[in-house]
Amino acid sequence: MHFVIAFTLAIVLMVADHYGQLMGSFRGVLLTTISPIERIATLPKQFYQLTTTDFTNVDTLKLENQRLKTELLLIKAKQQQFSNLQLEVSRLESLLGTAGKINTQSLKIATVTYYSNNPLSQYLTLNKGQLNNVIEQQTVIDSKGIMGQIINTTPTHSRVLLITDPDHQIPVRVQRTGQRGILSGTGHETTQLGFIPKTSLVEIGDLLESSGLGGVFPAGYPVAVITQIENKGGNPYLDVTATPVADLFQSHKVLILSQATPYLNFDEDLDESLNEDATEEPLDVK
Amino acid sequence: MSNKLFSLKTSQARWVILISYIIALAFDTIALFGHSSPVIPPLTLFFLLYWCANFLDRTHLFSAFLLGLLADTLYQTTLGSHALLFSMITFLMIRHRLRFKGYPVWQQAFLISLYMMSYQLLNYLFFSPVLNGNEIVQYWTMPALSILLWPVLAYSLGKISHTAADD
Repeated sequence: MHFVIAFTLAIVLMVADHYGQLMGSFRGVLLTTISPIERIATLPKQFYQLTTTDFTNVDTLKLENQRLKTELLLIKAKQQQFSNLQLEVSRLESLLGTAGKINTQSLKIATVTYYSNNPLSQYLTLNKGQLNNVIEQQTVIDSKGIMGQIINTTPTHSRVLLITDPDHQIPVRVQRTGQRGILSGTGHETTQLGFIPKTSLVEIGDLLESSGLGGVFPAGYPVAVITQIENKGGNPYLDVTATPVADLFQSHKVLILSQATPYLNFDEDLDESLNEDATEEPLDVK
Repeated sequence: MSNKLFSLKTSQARWVILISYIIALAFDTIALFGHSSPVIPPLTLFFLLYWCANFLDRTHLFSAFLLGLLADTLYQTTLGSHALLFSMITFLMIRHRLRFKGYPVWQQAFLISLYMMSYQLLNYLFFSPVLNGNEIVQYWTMPALSILLWPVLAYSLGKISHTAADD
């Protein structure tokens, strides 16, 4: 009798989770329950990092500091140019009378606390959650491109489904030709571009960027680079393999994009993030 | 000793069982975040089968269901899928646990490998994991590794549960 109840309940849960959005909050509760266990599980790794990184050479740190300062200066200079360009485009648009707008996103900096690189699931856990106004379906990027989207949140953490997860799909377009397609995860460190007809002009090395269709991912962010194209007999579409441009399993700091807002609140989060770094242990980067 | 073994009640070792499940989940999490190969068996299911075979006053199906839900959360799979798998494997154990308990440990280990093979098979049918190169061999070798792991686990958990029951 117990087995029949468990069996029925499991089937009902699976159907509800697969076809409805009702299970989101229930999964959030389970995620909050398992969160302390996940923290316990990362303790040995953190202890190992603590004992190994404490012996880092001071000279290496000085060099790195110098490099980061130079990089920051260059980025600030580019940012000034970008602001000018933005104003210029707005002026030109108003002259032309078009309704176009440059979308800017509100950014939040988050730290990757742990990640799963398993054939069943590929996700990251971030140290920002509901208390930091992180909500489901927000896009997560690193310095190179799109990493994935927020799928679950707890008060203090959130989980990001990576673009390489077998359950993940993202609408993209080939930057060079504008050809649209759907990029799906394979469960390993590559993705598969679907629905590209044989007559298409895609080439190895083409950059895929988000097309913005569906409204979940903002348009124009780099996603992956085509690394392999196969033309199989009776199939009307090409088999296109692409490698993500983002460092999915090496990035330590990531950005969470919110819906379009008229200004960037980057600096506020940067200060907060730098303060966090003073107390947090860095994640091991490969 | 054998009489004592057969008369153990879940209530006598409730805390030991609970803590063992937390430790098992932590080990599974370490294996997941440490990107270990698929050859390592799921310790949560291992512990569940041990307690199910040795504490006969409960069906342990509630624990199986709950642990399955936590596994679904951990592996980011459809809610209820691991719960169903764990419940099915536990049910198989319940059907034969009286005979299973009477077997010597080495024989139990071989039977456990059959349970683990059933788990891997169902896991493969449910989730169709994308396995490349060596991973295919490692995935199907997991039941064989369970043969080696079971005697160690049975001895350790046996000692701990009897100490807890004596206290």
